[in-house]
Amino acid sequence: MAALTFIHQNLLHSTPKLTTSKPNLKPKRTKTKLSIQTIRESPQASFTDQFVLQLADSLEDSLPSSSSSLPLQKLRDNSSETLLSTQWPSRKDESFRFTDTSFIKNSDINPISHPPNSLDLLEVSRDTQFESFNFVDGFLVDSSFSSSNLPDGVYVGSLSKLSSEGILKRVCELLGDFEWGDLFWSVNGLGAPDLMVVYVPEGCRVENPIYLKYIAVEGADKGSKKMPLSNPRVFVLVEKGGEVGIVEEFVGKVGSECYWTNSVLEVVVGEGGKVSHSYVQKQSLSAAHIKWTSVRQEKTSAYELVEVSTGGKLSRHNVHVQQLGSDTVTELTTFHLSVGDQTQDLHSRIVLDHPRGYSQQLHKCIVAHSSGQAVFDGNVKVNSHANEYGDQEVKFMQKKKPKKLIYFCWLLPLATRYAQQTDAGQLTRSLLLEPRATVNVKPNLQIIADDVKCSHGAAISDLEDSQLFYFQARGIDLETAREALVFSFGAEVIDKLPYSFVQKQVKDHVKALLKSRRKGSS
Amino acid sequence: MAWQIQCTASPPPLPSFPPFTLKSTSSISLPLPLPLTRSSRFRSTHAPSPRPIAASFSAVESTTSTDGLGNSKTPLLEVKGLTAVIAETKQEILKGVDLVVHHGEIHAIMGKNGSGKSTFSKVLVGHPDYEVTGGDVVFKGENLLDMEPEERSLAGLFMSFQSPVEIPGVNNIDFLHMAYNARRKKLGEPELGPLEFYAYIYPKLDLVNMKTDFLNRNVNEGFSGGERKRNEILQLAVLGADLAILDEIDSGLDVDALQDVAKAVNGLLTPTNSVLMITHYRRLLEVIKPTFIHIMENGRIIKTGDSSLAEVLEEKGYTAISAA
Repeated sequence: MAALTFIHQNLLHSTPKLTTSKPNLKPKRTKTKLSIQTIRESPQASFTDQFVLQLADSLEDSLPSSSSSLPLQKLRDNSSETLLSTQWPSRKDESFRFTDTSFIKNSDINPISHPPNSLDLLEVSRDTQFESFNFVDGFLVDSSFSSSNLPDGVYVGSLSKLSSEGILKRVCELLGDFEWGDLFWSVNGLGAPDLMVVYVPEGCRVENPIYLKYIAVEGADKGSKKMPLSNPRVFVLVEKGGEVGIVEEFVGKVGSECYWTNSVLEVVVGEGGKVSHSYVQKQSLSAAHIKWTSVRQEKTSAYELVEVSTGGKLSRHNVHVQQLGSDTVTELTTFHLSVGDQTQDLHSRIVLDHPRGYSQQLHKCIVAHSSGQAVFDGNVKVNSHANEYGDQEVKFMQKKKPKKLIYFCWLLPLATRYAQQTDAGQLTRSLLLEPRATVNVKPNLQIIADDVKCSHGAAISDLEDSQLFYFQARGIDLETAREALVFSFGAEVIDKLPYSFVQKQVKDHVKALLKSRRKGSS
Repeated sequence: MAWQIQCTASPPPLPSFPPFTLKSTSSISLPLPLPLTRSSRFRSTHAPSPRPIAASFSAVESTTSTDGLGNSKTPLLEVKGLTAVIAETKQEILKGVDLVVHHGEIHAIMGKNGSGKSTFSKVLVGHPDYEVTGGDVVFKGENLLDMEPEERSLAGLFMSFQSPVEIPGVNNIDFLHMAYNARRKKLGEPELGPLEFYAYIYPKLDLVNMKTDFLNRNVNEGFSGGERKRNEILQLAVLGADLAILDEIDSGLDVDALQDVAKAVNGLLTPTNSVLMITHYRRLLEVIKPTFIHIMENGRIIKTGDSSLAEVLEEKGYTAISAA
């Protein structure tokens, strides 16, 4: 795959001297990585990764002993099986080429086996400004939120409390049916203590958004090797013509620094249905945050994601959207911010398999720290089973001419049979504010069709001098101007969040982060 | 200034009938008290400035003089021998510009493309594309060239951009609010909250004939040519300025839009603030009447006159003037 790497000055951070291993083979190994010894054998040594095996064991031990409902048991069995043949990802794996997960691997991972005590819960619910469903350390907490506010037939809650046989059957059919998952998907499948179900029946439009708040309470101090792991999992099923808004917010309790949240959201949108998904990730800057969002869309349905991720030492969002029918609309709008020594990673894949599919993707990221990093791998695959012929319109679009750009992308018009009248656009823009800040961008379109309209572009830049000067010429000092411009870069995405209360708190949060950076640097 | 310009562009006129004598205390350095007056060529169609031209005379030797009313005054802007190059290529654009602007005067600079008019205005506001290589610029008694662009703005210098840049993601009203509060902070006044600011800015919209939704759009994003110019004037109205440099405020405007913009500018004029217009066309000078017209050529001001100069230009072109 074509990849784009951009670094302000120099790609290689201090490369430690490699004494025994061949430097050519392991050019990006860092000191921390070399210091791993103990039980782990080289991944190549056996089919089962000992480290993964150990992790799987500890996950199983952490599960509640009471018997679980059928869908969950099925999920665990499948995940357990997959885990045995999965290795911990290394930088040699294409999808982890730029994302170093050794930070997690080198920690003392400890799956959280029980929800925190009630005192902590009280504190958590006090923090919550809006009526929300709370996950604490991966456990769904009975909240004061009354489901009676929801329309008839809608179910929001734990799978274990689901009484409707009909819904249970549907969940059982669809849950975890996904071939694209990686190790982290399986870790969640095995380790999720519960499953939250959001069910919207046919033709039902849910007025108010379902607000899911994930709080990490248990956490070690910064710099500690300990890493409590939680595996929250949510399944959203919107039947034909249903509509719902989902807001996911991830936060860490104040004082909890080091933890790992490994979350999965599955969404199934029935014919003509619509899901508007807001995802806000504000974890501690020392945490690990891995998230999967898997979406399946029936024909004429719509799925819109707006993401703002600012937290985590390592944060990775895997989005997979599969269009299962014609005239389907997918929109992904995402913004990542690294103000610290952080890696923000978005791996997205949109598969347009049917005629007149539409997808728009905008990804923006800011790296505002010299050892910060952003990774974007955006794959759009167009290969459907329509058999009309038409003119091919494939164009490259670049909204703005970047100042410095190493820019390479792939477009593959492979055959002339599929995915007719598809309209897919993808644009990524990155802002690097510090020397040595890094972004690895890999926008890619794979097209196996002729009558399609696809565009993509990537731009990497610093702030525009002409814009900065415009502020100055009106009496605004450079620092304030920079701050306003940096904020406005992200605001384009934040403004797309469909709920104003979410928008406001995200704006405040991003402003505070940018301000803290300014204070830190001065 | 008249004297000075005539030195460079045409033989110095012999002052014949001095209606009054220069009372400048600073003219001691001159060999004889040169009584100056507006020569007939300087008859302006615009109401003449109440201050006698003698004040401009000080441009050469000193910055302070006394006007006919006995008030001590300082020129608002005094440019001496200003030279500047393009920062990147070091190509010299300004080759010794001299200009004096007093309070309440309207100056226009005309000239062919590439004569350095726009560069001159950009250099005055501190545009980073240019480097000053020589000369002095004193604005309100202070060395302008030592100041950062934002300090120049806060000191009361405003330039409307010829093609203002788009700033996606920044709301027009937020931008104005930020700029206005920067000004208040500089003056030691409390900053205005969003509501107070809205109350302040709302009446100004009429001045530029804009609707309120104009404020909620991103700065210049998707603005038409006319909207951009109006937005510049709105900023001038909000921020105020002792000297407003209007760089080709008339370019790309149709007749109606030009009238709107000119009306707005005229509405902002007070007896003390000054305007420096950069333009190609006489039509702007018909709606905003200048006290002086300067002709710029090859990085210098080669001729200064009153508004009648524009007529000469119209008839005979720049060649006639440079040849003269």
